[in-house]
Amino acid sequence: MSVASVPFSFSRLSLIAGNTFLEAVRQKLFNFLLLLAIGLVASAQFFREFNFGSSELKFIADFGFGALIFFGSALTIATTAQLFFSEIENRTALTLLAKPLWRAEFVFGKFLGVFAVIGVFCALTIGLMMALLFHREGELMAVAPDEFTGGRIIAYGDLLIVGLLQWLKFGVLTAIVLLIASFSNTNLFTVVTGFFVLVICHLQYLARDQWSNVDNILLAGAVRALSLIFPNFQLFNLADEIGQGSGVSGQVALGVAGYGLIYIAVIGGLAVYSFRNREI
Amino acid sequence: MKFDVAALRPLRTGLVVVLGLLLAGIATRPIEGPTWEKVRAKQPALRLESLKDALGQGVTVGLLGGFRAIVADLFWIRTNAIWETYDLPKTQTSIKLVTAIDPRPLFFWLNGSRMIAYDMPNWRIDRAGGWDAVPDAVKRRFEEEQSAVAIDYLETALAFHPEHPLLVLEIANIHLNRLKDVETAARYYLRASRHPDAPFYAARIYAELLRRLDRKPEAYAFLKELYPTLPRDSVMAQPWVVLERIRELEDELEIPEEQRFRE
Repeated sequence: MSVASVPFSFSRLSLIAGNTFLEAVRQKLFNFLLLLAIGLVASAQFFREFNFGSSELKFIADFGFGALIFFGSALTIATTAQLFFSEIENRTALTLLAKPLWRAEFVFGKFLGVFAVIGVFCALTIGLMMALLFHREGELMAVAPDEFTGGRIIAYGDLLIVGLLQWLKFGVLTAIVLLIASFSNTNLFTVVTGFFVLVICHLQYLARDQWSNVDNILLAGAVRALSLIFPNFQLFNLADEIGQGSGVSGQVALGVAGYGLIYIAVIGGLAVYSFRNREI
Repeated sequence: MKFDVAALRPLRTGLVVVLGLLLAGIATRPIEGPTWEKVRAKQPALRLESLKDALGQGVTVGLLGGFRAIVADLFWIRTNAIWETYDLPKTQTSIKLVTAIDPRPLFFWLNGSRMIAYDMPNWRIDRAGGWDAVPDAVKRRFEEEQSAVAIDYLETALAFHPEHPLLVLEIANIHLNRLKDVETAARYYLRASRHPDAPFYAARIYAELLRRLDRKPEAYAFLKELYPTLPRDSVMAQPWVVLERIRELEDELEIPEEQRFRE
């Protein structure tokens, strides 16, 4: 039976996603990075002794988001590449794709599996950070009630929104790594390229700032095109807005979420297209 | 030789992928553009004019996120360890590294600039033979050079914390205490005093410097305007001191009784 003869199936896709998820949580890398991130977030209270700049609660929040962003990015790139190539290297991809299974089901199944794993990582890290902040804020409220006359000062909703947006950013990064893996031959190449693309995506706004300053029309066009090819990851960095003025704007959060979802769909689609053209 | 069309397939795939990404970039511009402007407006680290600084910030903000706070803190501890060895180039580089990693805390900028402007000239004098052996002109040159570095550093800080009164005051202090340039110092104290969060002493020092510059009518007019804006019972605002100075200036300027300032 050929692929063309069977319709696209969400149940096959969810089987692949579920299998990918199980495979990922069994990985030592996932457990190691998760424990490291959780350990760091939990130890934020001890690190505050080294804090010279911001307020204590802001420091704990910053520290938590630091762990989330740093280890989350590493986990996303490494896990996506490893899970994709383990299928190819173990020849299970050959067995799977010999059956009536769409390559789109395979790619999006992998995506959803990794996205769920990263979701667990984000939920645990953010959850622990919020619990820690809640506990410490309570302690401070008891010690210095005058500083909290208006009640709690941490906007926990904002923390949650920023955490969700980071998860979406990791989703876009997962799609990018899958796109790279769809034409790459090695795991190492995918991880290294994925990391460089992550850096480029964080710096692409500078290319956009610069293109209008370039006199050469061709060069300006190339810079402009470059700035459009890579998604803008700085858009997802709303952690600095927590506790500032009115906090995280709902309209901005929705815009960023929409942007992330569009990119996940587009880059995921391109990964499917590229994978369909690949000889396995 | 027969041309193999299949060989072009990877190229075609690559082109389609790039084109798809380009179209996605164009299609998402209406969402991304206004959202980005709002996000950026709240983060000075992302709206730097200098490409070099912006590159550094882009990477640290994006990859380290809030982690940059602890990384910068650890580098600050290291900076202090280097500072104790009087190693000027290393200390200066380390100070700048700390604020390159995390430009948000004012603590780093203020203390870093103080090390550069107040400690380092003495290190250079020591290295050149000591306070008694070094000619005054050379000492002065060391002070001027280090002050210039510190002011430049604080000007960079203002790109991250636009018009922050404590940074402007720090520049004013260097002009006053290190460079003995009362005129320029007065300008910076005035600039700092205009900020809504400025400490009250900024305006008082400005008026005192005007007196020192023998611009007493200006100082008198400034204090008369300042006094009604001060909270009456505030120890920080010290309105009674301002009133005392108004009276002193009235005596010095020989203001007729009927034209004197009334509370």
